[in-house]
Amino acid sequence: MNSSADRMRRALIWAWTAAVIVFMYLPALGLVLASSTSSRYFIFPITKWGFDWWQKTFASLEIHQLFRTSLLIAACVTVIAVVIALFGALAFARYDWKGRSIYQKIVLLPIFFPQSVLGLALLLWFNALGFTMSWQTAVFAHLVWIIPVCTLVISIQVYSFDPALEEAAFDLGATKWQVFREVTLPVLFPGIFSGALFAFLLSWGNFPLSLYTTGADTTLPEYLYAKMIAGYTPGVPVLGTVSTLGAAVLLLLGYFIIVVLRRRRSAGSDEAA
Amino acid sequence: MSVLAQIFRPGMRHALPILVFLLGGFAAPLLAVIAFSFVPSRTFSLWSDWSFDNYVEIFNSSSYITFVWSLGLAAATVAILAVICYPVAFGLTRVFGRYATLITLLFTLPLFVSENVRLYGWILIFIKNGVLLGTLKSLFGWEPESIVFTHGLTLMGMVYVYLPFMLFPTTLGVSMVPQQTRDAAFDLGASRWQVFREIDLPLAMPGIVIGFLLTFVLAVGAIAEAKVLGGQQIIPITHDIEIAFTYAQNWPLGAALSVLLMLVVGTLVLIVLRRFDLDAILGRR
Amino acid sequence: MTGRPPILQLRNLTKVFGTFTAVNDVNLDIEEGEFFTIVGPSGSGKTTLLRMLTGMEFATSGDILLRGTRINDLPANKRPTCMVFQSLALFPHRTVGQNIEFSLKIKGIDPATRKRRALELMRQLRLPEDYYGKNVTKCSGGERQRVALARALAYEPDILFFDEPLSAIDYKLRKTLEKELKDIHRETGKTFIYITHSLEEAMVMSDRIGVMRAGRLVQVGSPQEIYSAPQTKFVSEFIGDVNVIAVTANGAGGVHAAEFGVSFKAPPAPAGFSAGHLVVRPESLRFVAGRSEAENVLEGRVYNEYALGSRIQYQVRVGEHVFIVEKLRQQAFGGHRDDAVLIGWDASDSILVTD
Repeated sequence: MNSSADRMRRALIWAWTAAVIVFMYLPALGLVLASSTSSRYFIFPITKWGFDWWQKTFASLEIHQLFRTSLLIAACVTVIAVVIALFGALAFARYDWKGRSIYQKIVLLPIFFPQSVLGLALLLWFNALGFTMSWQTAVFAHLVWIIPVCTLVISIQVYSFDPALEEAAFDLGATKWQVFREVTLPVLFPGIFSGALFAFLLSWGNFPLSLYTTGADTTLPEYLYAKMIAGYTPGVPVLGTVSTLGAAVLLLLGYFIIVVLRRRRSAGSDEAA
Repeated sequence: MSVLAQIFRPGMRHALPILVFLLGGFAAPLLAVIAFSFVPSRTFSLWSDWSFDNYVEIFNSSSYITFVWSLGLAAATVAILAVICYPVAFGLTRVFGRYATLITLLFTLPLFVSENVRLYGWILIFIKNGVLLGTLKSLFGWEPESIVFTHGLTLMGMVYVYLPFMLFPTTLGVSMVPQQTRDAAFDLGASRWQVFREIDLPLAMPGIVIGFLLTFVLAVGAIAEAKVLGGQQIIPITHDIEIAFTYAQNWPLGAALSVLLMLVVGTLVLIVLRRFDLDAILGRR
Repeated sequence: MTGRPPILQLRNLTKVFGTFTAVNDVNLDIEEGEFFTIVGPSGSGKTTLLRMLTGMEFATSGDILLRGTRINDLPANKRPTCMVFQSLALFPHRTVGQNIEFSLKIKGIDPATRKRRALELMRQLRLPEDYYGKNVTKCSGGERQRVALARALAYEPDILFFDEPLSAIDYKLRKTLEKELKDIHRETGKTFIYITHSLEEAMVMSDRIGVMRAGRLVQVGSPQEIYSAPQTKFVSEFIGDVNVIAVTANGAGGVHAAEFGVSFKAPPAPAGFSAGHLVVRPESLRFVAGRSEAENVLEGRVYNEYALGSRIQYQVRVGEHVFIVEKLRQQAFGGHRDDAVLIGWDASDSILVTD
């Protein structure tokens, strides 16, 4: 449809969306600006531009330790979450079984649950079991929320998976393990990859669960929170900018990989046709 | 069929790891919270005399005010987000074409940055001598009051943080409306507004309701917005819970407050989720 | 056809998407009460043409006249025409009754009148009365077709459009519904404009057929005319299996087929004919015993045979060229695979077409 009223409506939707995107990225602008001033306090317009605080922040051993802890937790969460979620997703979307409908809802429950309360509940539970809070308990806490998200992400790929592919491989003499490795895994790979990306980034940025379950091992979001409610610290905008840019780079890289994978796959099928 | 045979059917077998994990990581902690809510004030062991004292204490206190604040803020957040997100979701499905993926990516990115970092960005924008006020001052010599640490900014922060959680389910819902069905209504004489009311809205409803639910639940559990942007002008229930667990060292009271919050959220989630066929929503090709 | 003016006139109608011309300079008059079918392969522009006629797409140039009034810029919801969609596009959140009543509700007609009208239409379309409150998604394929048709009829359109509504239905039901649709056409006396990629479907139902190719309307005529006098190779092949031989005029009233190195006797060529194709239908080809038994004869070899219900089809190869010969079962050829045979036809059984 291309009447003038329709064009007007489309223009309005574009403009509205653009405004919402600006709204989403305005705080990032604040962070970037504040991180590039050399003064102790942030005063706009900036008079003394400079990256002194970047240098100082990254020279700090404390910050190195924070990065290590956050990275360690996110890496462990990613590996464990993807393995469990892959099987979870197959049960969610691939197999037709008796308890599936209830199972699907159970898996979603942790997503539909206030994270701060979940963090406290886990704290109570670990305490009752006699565990000391550390990065390991934080990994467990992150998993409670991230495994369901990851399952959902992979499930979307599994829904478009044709089970006849597995049957065909069986029919051609493959063992169960070969079918999984040669057919199921590669076909589902884009979904698994997206799931891993989500798992890593969500763990990296998580605050409400970490707050109660890391104990003495502080993560980056916790440190930033402590600093920002205490008053203005110049290192906060620097680290905020770094985590925003880091997530953007990872996300774009991940997206790029998926696009390349898809393109290679469809190019392959074109040659076959 | 024996229990063993039941367990070793492929569906159940694949579901087993996640179910076992959630039993230990989700169900058990919640039971622990419920159990703790019945032990006497300021005890740290489950094995004491169980009573309803904590609940009595809550009902005799002013905690209901924080409850009302939390639920009210969450409801306001959901309402505002519905209005903000619908046009964007519509655009993503029907207007943006090949740019839709890029725009989706732009909305996904903030999900991966810790919410307190993103909220802190707003402080830098709105604070005295910040990006906004500093610009106004240097360009126009105008120095309005800073709106940092107000109720309004707290609400804006919540709208901001939970926007993707409303947007994506809504987009899923809007994309479930077949174009031909909309064309058919239009062809039968319906105006744009009638197409929206009679076709778009009812058919996109499953997605929109999931967005409502997700946003509401997360917003009820919000804690950082009020602290970072609201400067404690608003005290949400999660703050009361946190205080009980930390400064007050009164875990049983915190547990009882958590149980009440879980009851509200849980009831809502169960009522809504029960009615949905997830395969129909997620499984479209 | 009556002396009334055409209900719908298309004048030089063209639609361009970017650099692609989807509909190219279409001219057509459609009479009041006619069942007109537009046939073409996918990508021929028939759907775009239909979308312009319904007001869901707007013409790049040219005019659409409804009873003499230009309606180019009128959007779909303001046009007195209505379409039955390929997917049917029934409203899944509404009952059968609510679907049929939709346009009446939009017009603001009171519920009692609406219901009376809906039940009337359901009776006319042989839908049981108790389906009124039935969920439309629970109906069978044939029932859904009827609901879609009833919904469109309730709008009381001047013209009813159909966008291949039968394409997703199995063969047997489709055959029944084709006849039903023609009966409804007769009962209502409305103008039906139908698009399909199946000429067979078009033949069953239509008063007239227009064949589209690459955005152009290449031939318009009655089913009989399209079948017996196709003007181009494209139209002749669209009808089904045909034998096509590339030929040039030989100057002696016949044609020369370079492929076989022989001349054939041919029907009178159109004026100015120099090169084209000779079309012979499979049922017009016969097995002959000698070269004198038909005006044109070729020698070949039976490669395979296929039983098609009441008929049998043979694949006969003459050199590299594959001919299809079709016989009624009772006149079946008695020979076997790989037998050498003579196939022949008379000039009057063949058609000369341009490209």
